[in-house]
Amino acid sequence: MSDIIFFLLAGMGLGSLYAMLGAGLVIVYRGSGVINFAQGAFAMYGVFTFDEARRNGYLRLPWFDFLPTYSLNVPVDIKLGDEGVSSPVAFVLAVAMAVMIGLMAHFLVFRPLRSAAPLGKVIGSLGVMLYLQGVAQNNFGGTGRQPEAITPDGVFDNFLGLGKAYPQGTFSAIVFAIVMGLVLWGVFQFTRFGLATRAASSNEKGAVLLGYSPQLLAALNWVIASVLATVAAIVLGPTGGSLTPVGLSALVVASLGAALIGRLQSILITVAGGLSIGAVQSLLVFWSSDDWFPNFLRSGARDVVPFVVIGVVLFLRGKKLPLRGTVEEKRLPLAPYPVRIKQHMVIWSAVVIVAAILFEGAGARSVFSLALVTSMIASILMLSMVVITGYVGQISLAQLSFAGVSAFVMARMMADGSTTISNPFPVSGPGLPWPIAALIGVITAIVVGIIVGLPAVRIRGVQLAVVTVAFAISLQSLYFENQSLTQLSAGAPASVKPASIFGIDLKSIGDKGLKDRPEFVIFVLVVLLGCIALVANLRRNGTGRRFLAVRANERAAAAAGINVSRQKLLAFGIAAGIAGVGGVMLGFNQGDVSSAGFVYQASLAYLAFAYLGGITSINGAVVGGLLAPAGFITVLSGYFLRDANIQDYTTIIGGMGMVVTAIQNPNGIAPTLQPLFQHLGRWLRTARGAEWGAAIKRLGPVFVLGVVIGYLIWPLRVDTYSKFWMPLYGGFLALFIRGIYKQARAGGHAPVPHGNTPTPVSAGAAPTPVEVG
Amino acid sequence: MALLKTYDMTVRYGGLAANADVNLEVPEGKLVGLIGPNGAGKTTFIDAITGFTNVSSGRVEFDGHDLEGMTPDRRAHLGLVRTFQSLELFEDLTVRENLLVAAEKPTWWSFIVDLLRPPKTSAEHEARVAGALSVLGLDDIADRLPMDLSHGQRKLVGVARALAAKPKLLLLDEPAAGLDTTESQLLGQHLRTFLETGTTIFLIDHDMGLVLNVCDYIYVLDFGKIIAEGTPAQIRKDPAVIGAYLGQSAGEAQAKAGEALAARTAAAASDASEQAPDQGGDHV
Repeated sequence: MSDIIFFLLAGMGLGSLYAMLGAGLVIVYRGSGVINFAQGAFAMYGVFTFDEARRNGYLRLPWFDFLPTYSLNVPVDIKLGDEGVSSPVAFVLAVAMAVMIGLMAHFLVFRPLRSAAPLGKVIGSLGVMLYLQGVAQNNFGGTGRQPEAITPDGVFDNFLGLGKAYPQGTFSAIVFAIVMGLVLWGVFQFTRFGLATRAASSNEKGAVLLGYSPQLLAALNWVIASVLATVAAIVLGPTGGSLTPVGLSALVVASLGAALIGRLQSILITVAGGLSIGAVQSLLVFWSSDDWFPNFLRSGARDVVPFVVIGVVLFLRGKKLPLRGTVEEKRLPLAPYPVRIKQHMVIWSAVVIVAAILFEGAGARSVFSLALVTSMIASILMLSMVVITGYVGQISLAQLSFAGVSAFVMARMMADGSTTISNPFPVSGPGLPWPIAALIGVITAIVVGIIVGLPAVRIRGVQLAVVTVAFAISLQSLYFENQSLTQLSAGAPASVKPASIFGIDLKSIGDKGLKDRPEFVIFVLVVLLGCIALVANLRRNGTGRRFLAVRANERAAAAAGINVSRQKLLAFGIAAGIAGVGGVMLGFNQGDVSSAGFVYQASLAYLAFAYLGGITSINGAVVGGLLAPAGFITVLSGYFLRDANIQDYTTIIGGMGMVVTAIQNPNGIAPTLQPLFQHLGRWLRTARGAEWGAAIKRLGPVFVLGVVIGYLIWPLRVDTYSKFWMPLYGGFLALFIRGIYKQARAGGHAPVPHGNTPTPVSAGAAPTPVEVG
Repeated sequence: MALLKTYDMTVRYGGLAANADVNLEVPEGKLVGLIGPNGAGKTTFIDAITGFTNVSSGRVEFDGHDLEGMTPDRRAHLGLVRTFQSLELFEDLTVRENLLVAAEKPTWWSFIVDLLRPPKTSAEHEARVAGALSVLGLDDIADRLPMDLSHGQRKLVGVARALAAKPKLLLLDEPAAGLDTTESQLLGQHLRTFLETGTTIFLIDHDMGLVLNVCDYIYVLDFGKIIAEGTPAQIRKDPAVIGAYLGQSAGEAQAKAGEALAARTAAAASDASEQAPDQGGDHV
């Protein structure tokens, strides 16, 4: 018994961090109606700023120099001294940084998003999280650090007579959390500011009428939350061991559990909830070494706690959870009716097949083969997001987890107890041939998807995002990293045998060890086209109409005879199935599967680029795939900008892209570009000699201007650009910008083609062909 | 034979009885109206019948089925289809697709077919949609999105969508609210047309002219209770209705307006042209 009490108390150390981050979530939610997925990232950036200043004497600003040059630089690092600065100075700097990040979050992201759809706000906060995570990895490195604790580092011998040594640091952490909780409660309960915030939270218009500015209050609350996160991480973080950007950002999930226990309203209950979650986790870790503890739960028990808490709380509350009224509820962008699917498929297949053949053994350019494959697989994964988020409006942050389930199950079904080079550990399994193993994998993913979708029957929108991200994290340790289920020792990948069909070998790696086999590229292409056909059929048939009806209005859908719950589960199943296919292809591409590929951050990154491409359309998934990390556009840019290390920036760009898309253009890139391409296509089909001449006359100067600018910039960029590509790139970029400008001037936002009859492209540009680079 | 029948149906929100012991009957093939001042519980009544709110006590019977515990979509499948007072169209779907959603009755395996087969709609559903579109004169806007339509057109699309579901009983929640006199009259004519195709209609509206003119039988609701029922002629003269709901003078004015409208509609009907009659008529 005394052991149980001891471990409960010990767990409250980490619990105090959950409590403080949870309190920050409550404050932000009341202040601006946003569930801030970036709360953990705020804490992370703060504590790393503190540690970096104290350790190395540098202040690293929360942005990055996209293209470091010799002469043009964005200031990122500020040197404070040769040695580290003293703790109080570092603390003040970290708090100042937190204030700045809080203000930036409010004014650059969430103020512009105040009247966006709930999905837009979630995307915004996920974007901030990805951005800060990426910037921190760039500025501080991705490896763990152990900041010096500022809490006492002694121990209480025989604490409370429990017979064990209890760290004083943990004790002070708990005291700190409780005191801070009481202070914050007092501030919001008894000061004029607190009263005004609570008033604005329950009735924004009313608060305006009383002379308060809700936006000013929101900004203040963002700053408080950010500073609180930073201070909490500095004081409490080091007690939890080594800190990494990714690990700290992920703390937000357990904190969300705490905040949900407090109904996103009560700071004190949230603090208690956070401490309890920490305590229960610690107790489970203690118990997990006991004999009675189920074997398969041993490694994952701890991470399952937040998921169970969140799931149970949200399910019980059902729709009753208070959602703060937004200024004006906006809707998801339209999901256009796909047109001319077959023509597009034929054209793009030809392009991909030609490219696959050209890039084989093409020296430095053979990397494009792998880039194409990566993009196409990413497109498959994003198609699953189009179905669940774009068509049904449910936010799932677990799509990569479904892909992982399918890939791991397939690998296990293929396993036959032998060892390979990539996998020195024998894994027992039935040794099934690949089509059957893959099918079993996909079906398992579908089943898991439907189970995860069950809460969606009662929970929607933002809260569903919270449940699914908690699921993704718990699945990570419960399955992918669980040795008793996968038979893989820590971090080892499970091998996937290459596929083959009609005697054609479909392995991804060629004879020279490069991933440039055209056979495999075409295999992925065929699978992608199959998935596109499925989604296109779905959208154009009755099921798709019912999905969109549910997305538009659940009440009206029910009145029209639609079983809303069934549609949601169906969508989860279909989306998980498509994601499962993506997982299978990831497995074939890599030749093995490992847990690192299916972390929840991967889901976020893919969602970021899917949203950027256009979450509501198939074209969007294709564009998103091209933009994806290590995808075609990244690799292409890396090829042009040789030393710019584009790869390092993909997370950051993804995060920024998410935020900018959410604010500026929720439709995403694909629907915006579509009219441009349609116009270009029509012009190319009909243009005759004279028109070509006229077009060259009109566009030539623009192109030349771009070339000249590119040439002039080139000397500054001598380290990163090749002399030939830069001017050419500049020329096409100029044409592209002109096209976008013309289109914007012609009719503001591009008309989204709908129905079987494509709408004509905006009239203003009619006599002028719009070129696309 | 009564298609819909409620037995002492009561709906409580906390301590408030929004509907108290309502006994109401809608005979097959008739157009029955429900009127009452704001807050009388009219929309609550439709919500309760269609499963959007829970019945606290009492019973609802539709076409021989006891509706207790049945979800809204099951009730819709039975042929009990409603429209909404606010315009709850599916904004992402064209008018035609909006109607198709209601017309289609999927089976559990529909999604497999939908995934594998290029787009195809059954002739039966197409015909039903086309019928609903043409009876309401919406053919020209079938491929437009709801957001491109006028308020009146959106209202009609809402009715057409309900009609496309091939309802046995069509429950219309204030279809004329926000329509101008002409549109309201046209709607009245449409409703009588629906009756001829075998649809029974239950109509809630504020437009006294419309209700008194087109309904076969009228119930009057006030503070959740039925205070009067009868034919339009009886309701027009019912002192309880005039006193409690219409108010003495307003009642007379509304009744006159109703008679005037009836006369105009008759004139319009006899005037075979499809042109809308002039809007000069004074509508109180």
